[in-house]
Amino acid sequence: MSAGPSTMDALLARFRYRPDEESAGLVELPASPLEPDQRTGADELQLLTFGLGSSEYAVALGAVTEILRARALTEIPRARPPLLGMLNLRGIITPVYDPALRLGIPSAVPVCAGPDCERPPRAARILVVRTALGPAGLWVDRVRGVQRVRSGALERPSGGPTGGIVGILRTVDEPCTVVDPEWLLR
Amino acid sequence: MSADSHALDVCAFWVGETVYGIDVARVDEILPRVVPLPVTGAPPHVEGVVHVHGTAVPILDLRRLLPEGTPPRTAKPKVILARIGRRRVGLRVDGMAGVRRYGEAEIQPGGPVACVLGVTADGCRLLDLRGLLTNRAAEAGAGQ
Repeated sequence: MSAGPSTMDALLARFRYRPDEESAGLVELPASPLEPDQRTGADELQLLTFGLGSSEYAVALGAVTEILRARALTEIPRARPPLLGMLNLRGIITPVYDPALRLGIPSAVPVCAGPDCERPPRAARILVVRTALGPAGLWVDRVRGVQRVRSGALERPSGGPTGGIVGILRTVDEPCTVVDPEWLLR
Repeated sequence: MSADSHALDVCAFWVGETVYGIDVARVDEILPRVVPLPVTGAPPHVEGVVHVHGTAVPILDLRRLLPEGTPPRTAKPKVILARIGRRRVGLRVDGMAGVRRYGEAEIQPGGPVACVLGVTADGCRLLDLRGLLTNRAAEAGAGQ
Protein backbone atom coordinates (compact mmCIF):
# COMPACT_ATOMS: atom_id res chain seq x y z
CA MET A 1 0.00 0.00 0.00
CA SER A 2 1.55 3.26 -1.06
CA ALA A 3 -0.52 5.64 1.03
CA GLY A 4 0.14 6.32 4.67
CA PRO A 5 -2.52 5.60 7.29
CA SER A 6 -3.52 9.27 7.61
CA THR A 7 -4.36 9.51 3.90
CA MET A 8 -6.48 6.43 4.18
CA ASP A 9 -8.24 7.69 7.31
CA ALA A 10 -9.01 10.97 5.59
CA LEU A 11 -10.35 9.07 2.61
CA LEU A 12 -12.56 6.89 4.78
CA ALA A 13 -13.78 9.88 6.74
CA ARG A 14 -14.99 11.54 3.57
CA PHE A 15 -16.43 8.35 2.15
CA ARG A 16 -18.39 7.08 5.12
CA TYR A 17 -21.84 8.28 5.98
CA ARG A 18 -22.41 10.06 9.27
CA PRO A 19 -25.94 11.18 10.18
CA ASP A 20 -24.58 14.43 11.65
CA GLU A 21 -22.55 15.50 8.63
CA GLU A 22 -23.09 18.99 7.25
CA SER A 23 -25.42 19.19 4.27
CA ALA A 24 -25.88 22.93 3.88
CA GLY A 25 -25.84 24.23 0.35
CA LEU A 26 -26.66 20.81 -0.95
CA VAL A 27 -29.11 21.72 -3.64
CA GLU A 28 -29.64 25.33 -4.42
CA LEU A 29 -33.25 24.94 -5.42
CA PRO A 30 -34.50 27.84 -3.31
CA ALA A 31 -31.76 30.03 -4.76
CA SER A 32 -33.31 29.82 -8.21
CA PRO A 33 -36.58 31.70 -7.81
CA LEU A 34 -39.10 32.10 -10.56
CA GLU A 35 -38.85 35.28 -12.56
CA PRO A 36 -42.15 36.98 -11.66
CA ASP A 37 -41.49 36.70 -7.94
CA GLN A 38 -38.34 38.71 -8.21
CA ARG A 39 -40.20 41.62 -9.68
CA THR A 40 -42.66 41.81 -6.79
CA GLY A 41 -41.39 44.81 -4.94
CA ALA A 42 -42.23 45.75 -1.42
CA ASP A 43 -44.65 48.44 -2.61
CA GLU A 44 -46.55 46.12 -4.91
CA LEU A 45 -49.89 44.61 -3.99
CA GLN A 46 -51.44 41.52 -5.46
CA LEU A 47 -55.20 41.67 -5.40
CA LEU A 48 -57.73 39.00 -6.25
CA THR A 49 -60.66 40.71 -7.92
CA PHE A 50 -64.12 39.21 -7.84
CA GLY A 51 -67.65 40.28 -8.67
CA LEU A 52 -70.73 40.51 -6.50
CA GLY A 53 -73.89 41.49 -8.32
CA SER A 54 -72.93 44.32 -10.66
CA SER A 55 -69.90 45.62 -8.80
CA GLU A 56 -66.30 44.55 -8.48
CA TYR A 57 -64.40 43.92 -5.27
CA ALA A 58 -60.93 42.74 -4.38
CA VAL A 59 -59.10 41.20 -1.47
CA ALA A 60 -55.39 40.78 -0.87
CA LEU A 61 -54.29 37.65 -2.67
CA GLY A 62 -52.22 36.52 0.29
CA ALA A 63 -55.36 36.07 2.39
CA VAL A 64 -56.90 33.62 -0.06
CA THR A 65 -55.73 30.04 0.19
CA GLU A 66 -58.00 28.46 -2.36
CA ILE A 67 -60.71 29.16 -4.91
CA LEU A 68 -63.38 26.51 -5.23
CA ARG A 69 -66.11 26.09 -7.76
CA ALA A 70 -69.31 26.79 -5.84
CA ARG A 71 -71.01 23.60 -4.73
CA ALA A 72 -73.94 22.56 -2.61
CA LEU A 73 -73.20 23.21 1.06
CA THR A 74 -74.14 21.31 4.16
CA GLU A 75 -77.05 22.93 5.92
CA ILE A 76 -76.58 24.39 9.38
CA PRO A 77 -79.84 24.37 11.34
CA ARG A 78 -81.01 27.87 12.25
CA ALA A 79 -78.13 29.43 10.41
CA ARG A 80 -78.80 33.10 9.89
CA PRO A 81 -77.38 35.29 7.17
CA PRO A 82 -74.61 35.87 6.34
CA LEU A 83 -73.79 32.24 7.22
CA LEU A 84 -74.83 30.12 4.25
CA GLY A 85 -73.72 26.68 5.30
CA MET A 86 -70.63 24.68 5.69
CA LEU A 87 -68.22 22.80 3.60
CA ASN A 88 -66.05 19.82 4.35
CA LEU A 89 -62.76 20.91 2.89
CA ARG A 90 -60.53 17.81 3.01
CA GLY A 91 -61.64 17.09 6.52
CA ILE A 92 -61.71 20.67 7.79
CA ILE A 93 -65.17 22.03 8.45
CA THR A 94 -65.28 25.41 6.75
CA PRO A 95 -68.15 27.85 7.19
CA VAL A 96 -69.23 29.72 4.08
CA TYR A 97 -70.53 33.27 4.28
CA ASP A 98 -72.31 35.65 1.96
CA PRO A 99 -70.24 38.85 1.74
CA ALA A 100 -73.05 40.80 0.07
CA LEU A 101 -74.89 41.52 3.32
CA ARG A 102 -71.87 43.06 4.95
CA LEU A 103 -71.31 45.23 1.90
CA GLY A 104 -74.93 46.36 1.91
CA ILE A 105 -75.81 45.05 -1.52
CA PRO A 106 -78.66 42.65 -2.27
CA SER A 107 -77.64 39.05 -2.00
CA ALA A 108 -77.61 37.06 -5.21
CA VAL A 109 -76.80 33.72 -3.61
CA PRO A 110 -79.44 31.08 -4.37
CA VAL A 111 -80.51 28.51 -1.82
CA CYS A 112 -77.30 26.55 -1.65
CA ALA A 113 -77.70 24.32 1.38
CA GLY A 114 -80.26 21.78 2.49
CA PRO A 115 -82.59 19.46 0.61
CA ASP A 116 -84.10 22.03 -1.76
CA CYS A 117 -80.83 23.62 -2.83
CA GLU A 118 -80.39 24.73 -6.38
CA ARG A 119 -77.50 24.05 -8.68
CA PRO A 120 -75.03 26.91 -8.12
CA PRO A 121 -74.47 29.28 -11.06
CA ARG A 122 -71.57 28.26 -13.27
CA ALA A 123 -69.47 31.33 -12.53
CA ALA A 124 -69.97 31.26 -8.77
CA ARG A 125 -66.91 30.52 -6.66
CA ILE A 126 -66.05 30.08 -3.00
CA LEU A 127 -62.93 31.92 -1.87
CA VAL A 128 -61.34 30.16 1.05
CA VAL A 129 -59.66 32.78 3.18
CA ARG A 130 -57.35 32.45 6.13
CA THR A 131 -58.73 33.97 9.31
CA ALA A 132 -57.67 34.02 12.93
CA LEU A 133 -60.28 31.34 13.68
CA GLY A 134 -59.37 29.06 10.81
CA PRO A 135 -60.40 28.89 7.18
CA ALA A 136 -63.69 30.43 6.06
CA GLY A 137 -65.41 30.59 2.72
CA LEU A 138 -66.81 33.59 0.88
CA TRP A 139 -69.43 32.95 -1.78
CA VAL A 140 -68.83 35.27 -4.73
CA ASP A 141 -70.63 35.52 -8.03
CA ARG A 142 -67.53 35.38 -10.17
CA VAL A 143 -63.75 35.61 -9.90
CA ARG A 144 -62.04 37.91 -12.28
CA GLY A 145 -58.33 37.44 -11.73
CA VAL A 146 -55.23 38.72 -10.02
CA GLN A 147 -54.20 42.36 -10.34
CA ARG A 148 -50.71 43.53 -9.52
CA VAL A 149 -50.82 47.16 -8.53
CA ARG A 150 -48.47 49.59 -6.93
CA SER A 151 -49.44 50.46 -3.41
CA GLY A 152 -49.76 54.12 -4.42
CA ALA A 153 -52.34 53.30 -7.08
CA LEU A 154 -54.85 52.53 -4.39
CA GLU A 155 -57.09 55.41 -3.31
CA ARG A 156 -57.28 55.07 0.41
CA PRO A 157 -60.04 56.51 2.55
CA SER A 158 -58.91 59.66 4.29
CA GLY A 159 -59.65 59.35 8.00
CA GLY A 160 -62.89 58.46 9.68
CA PRO A 161 -64.25 55.01 10.32
CA THR A 162 -63.59 53.02 7.20
CA GLY A 163 -64.93 49.64 8.22
CA GLY A 164 -63.18 47.02 6.21
CA ILE A 165 -62.68 49.13 3.11
CA VAL A 166 -58.97 49.22 2.40
CA GLY A 167 -59.23 51.42 -0.67
CA ILE A 168 -60.56 51.84 -4.15
CA LEU A 169 -58.68 50.78 -7.22
CA ARG A 170 -59.33 52.69 -10.40
CA THR A 171 -56.76 51.20 -12.72
CA VAL A 172 -59.08 48.49 -13.96
CA ASP A 173 -61.86 49.45 -16.35
CA GLU A 174 -64.38 49.38 -13.53
CA PRO A 175 -63.62 50.79 -10.09
CA CYS A 176 -62.96 48.04 -7.67
CA THR A 177 -63.35 48.19 -3.90
CA VAL A 178 -60.58 46.55 -1.95
CA VAL A 179 -61.92 45.04 1.26
CA ASP A 180 -60.52 43.27 4.28
CA PRO A 181 -61.73 39.65 4.14
CA GLU A 182 -61.87 39.34 7.92
CA TRP A 183 -64.26 42.27 8.08
CA LEU A 184 -66.60 40.57 5.63
CA LEU A 185 -66.98 37.68 8.04
CA ARG A 186 -67.48 39.65 11.20
CA MET B 1 -4.68 -3.57 12.25
CA SER B 2 -6.83 -6.15 10.62
CA ALA B 3 -8.16 -5.52 7.15
CA ASP B 4 -11.69 -6.27 8.29
CA SER B 5 -11.88 -3.33 10.69
CA HIS B 6 -11.43 -1.00 7.73
CA ALA B 7 -13.40 -2.98 5.23
CA LEU B 8 -15.69 -0.86 3.14
CA ASP B 9 -19.14 -1.87 2.08
CA VAL B 10 -19.75 -0.06 -1.14
CA CYS B 11 -22.92 0.34 -3.15
CA ALA B 12 -21.64 0.31 -6.71
CA PHE B 13 -23.40 1.69 -9.77
CA TRP B 14 -22.71 2.56 -13.35
CA VAL B 15 -22.48 6.07 -14.71
CA GLY B 16 -21.62 5.85 -18.35
CA GLU B 17 -19.00 3.12 -18.63
CA THR B 18 -17.50 3.70 -15.21
CA VAL B 19 -18.37 2.07 -11.92
CA TYR B 20 -18.69 4.45 -8.99
CA GLY B 21 -19.31 3.55 -5.40
CA ILE B 22 -20.84 5.19 -2.36
CA ASP B 23 -21.09 4.01 1.22
CA VAL B 24 -23.96 1.52 1.58
CA ALA B 25 -24.94 3.26 4.81
CA ARG B 26 -26.01 6.23 2.70
CA VAL B 27 -28.43 4.24 0.61
CA ASP B 28 -32.04 4.01 1.66
CA GLU B 29 -33.66 2.56 -1.38
CA ILE B 30 -33.28 1.90 -5.09
CA LEU B 31 -36.19 3.08 -7.18
CA PRO B 32 -36.60 1.43 -10.58
CA ARG B 33 -38.95 3.80 -12.35
CA VAL B 34 -39.11 7.43 -11.38
CA VAL B 35 -40.74 10.26 -13.29
CA PRO B 36 -39.73 13.46 -11.49
CA LEU B 37 -41.76 16.63 -11.58
CA PRO B 38 -39.66 19.25 -13.34
CA VAL B 39 -38.66 22.28 -11.30
CA THR B 40 -38.66 25.61 -13.11
CA GLY B 41 -35.41 27.49 -12.86
CA ALA B 42 -33.49 24.63 -11.27
CA PRO B 43 -29.85 24.03 -12.17
CA PRO B 44 -29.39 21.64 -15.11
CA HIS B 45 -28.29 18.68 -13.00
CA VAL B 46 -31.59 18.75 -11.08
CA GLU B 47 -34.05 16.57 -12.93
CA GLY B 48 -36.91 17.51 -10.67
CA VAL B 49 -38.53 16.33 -7.48
CA VAL B 50 -40.44 13.19 -6.58
CA HIS B 51 -42.62 12.37 -3.65
CA VAL B 52 -41.16 9.48 -1.70
CA HIS B 53 -43.22 8.34 1.26
CA GLY B 54 -44.62 11.81 1.73
CA THR B 55 -41.47 13.89 1.40
CA ALA B 56 -40.25 15.75 -1.65
CA VAL B 57 -36.84 14.53 -2.75
CA PRO B 58 -34.76 16.24 -5.45
CA ILE B 59 -33.50 13.97 -8.20
CA LEU B 60 -29.95 14.80 -9.25
CA ASP B 61 -28.57 13.46 -12.48
CA LEU B 62 -25.13 12.04 -11.71
CA ARG B 63 -24.53 11.71 -15.44
CA ARG B 64 -24.41 15.48 -15.61
CA LEU B 65 -22.24 15.81 -12.51
CA LEU B 66 -19.63 13.20 -13.34
CA PRO B 67 -17.59 12.80 -16.51
CA GLU B 68 -19.82 10.31 -18.22
CA GLY B 69 -19.32 8.11 -21.21
CA THR B 70 -21.82 6.41 -23.43
CA PRO B 71 -24.15 4.40 -21.23
CA PRO B 72 -23.52 0.69 -21.63
CA ARG B 73 -25.97 -1.17 -23.77
CA THR B 74 -27.47 -2.90 -20.76
CA ALA B 75 -28.24 0.39 -19.04
CA LYS B 76 -31.15 0.10 -16.70
CA PRO B 77 -31.48 3.58 -15.26
CA LYS B 78 -32.28 3.65 -11.60
CA VAL B 79 -32.61 6.23 -8.88
CA ILE B 80 -30.66 5.68 -5.68
CA LEU B 81 -32.23 7.33 -2.66
CA ALA B 82 -29.24 8.39 -0.63
CA ARG B 83 -28.69 10.34 2.55
CA ILE B 84 -26.41 13.30 2.99
CA GLY B 85 -26.48 14.34 6.61
CA ARG B 86 -30.14 14.61 7.43
CA ARG B 87 -31.24 15.22 3.88
CA ARG B 88 -32.22 12.80 1.19
CA VAL B 89 -31.45 13.03 -2.47
CA GLY B 90 -32.21 10.85 -5.42
CA LEU B 91 -29.28 10.03 -7.69
CA ARG B 92 -29.95 9.12 -11.29
CA VAL B 93 -27.52 6.43 -12.43
CA ASP B 94 -27.21 4.18 -15.46
CA GLY B 95 -27.50 0.91 -13.58
CA MET B 96 -26.64 -0.88 -10.38
CA ALA B 97 -23.45 -2.91 -9.98
CA GLY B 98 -24.18 -4.55 -6.65
CA VAL B 99 -22.82 -4.21 -3.15
CA ARG B 100 -19.11 -4.91 -2.86
CA ARG B 101 -16.76 -5.20 0.06
CA TYR B 102 -13.22 -3.91 -0.19
CA GLY B 103 -10.32 -4.18 2.19
CA GLU B 104 -8.15 -1.20 2.81
CA ALA B 105 -5.30 -2.68 0.82
CA GLU B 106 -7.42 -2.80 -2.31
CA ILE B 107 -7.95 0.95 -2.39
CA GLN B 108 -5.58 3.27 -4.18
CA PRO B 109 -6.17 6.80 -2.87
CA GLY B 110 -6.59 9.68 -5.26
CA GLY B 111 -8.56 9.73 -8.44
CA PRO B 112 -8.78 11.28 -11.86
CA VAL B 113 -11.57 13.64 -10.81
CA ALA B 114 -11.78 15.92 -7.79
CA CYS B 115 -14.63 14.12 -6.07
CA VAL B 116 -13.20 10.62 -6.51
CA LEU B 117 -11.47 9.68 -3.26
CA GLY B 118 -9.87 6.52 -4.45
CA VAL B 119 -10.01 3.73 -6.95
CA THR B 120 -10.28 0.09 -5.98
CA ALA B 121 -8.33 -2.75 -7.51
CA ASP B 122 -11.25 -3.69 -9.76
CA GLY B 123 -11.78 -0.13 -10.99
CA CYS B 124 -14.59 1.10 -8.78
CA ARG B 125 -14.24 4.80 -8.10
CA LEU B 126 -15.16 5.75 -4.54
CA LEU B 127 -17.15 8.96 -4.54
CA ASP B 128 -17.11 11.78 -2.04
CA LEU B 129 -20.82 12.26 -2.51
CA ARG B 130 -21.23 15.07 -0.03
CA GLY B 131 -18.33 16.98 -1.55
CA LEU B 132 -19.66 16.39 -5.03
CA LEU B 133 -23.09 17.77 -4.28
CA THR B 134 -22.30 20.53 -1.84
CA ASN B 135 -19.59 22.12 -3.99
CA ARG B 136 -21.96 22.27 -6.95
CA ALA B 137 -19.49 19.95 -8.68
CA ALA B 138 -17.95 22.69 -10.73
CA GLU B 139 -14.61 20.93 -11.01
CA ALA B 140 -16.08 17.47 -11.43
CA GLY B 141 -18.35 18.49 -14.26
CA ALA B 142 -15.52 20.27 -16.04
CA GLY B 143 -13.09 17.45 -15.43
CA GLN B 144 -13.91 15.43 -18.50
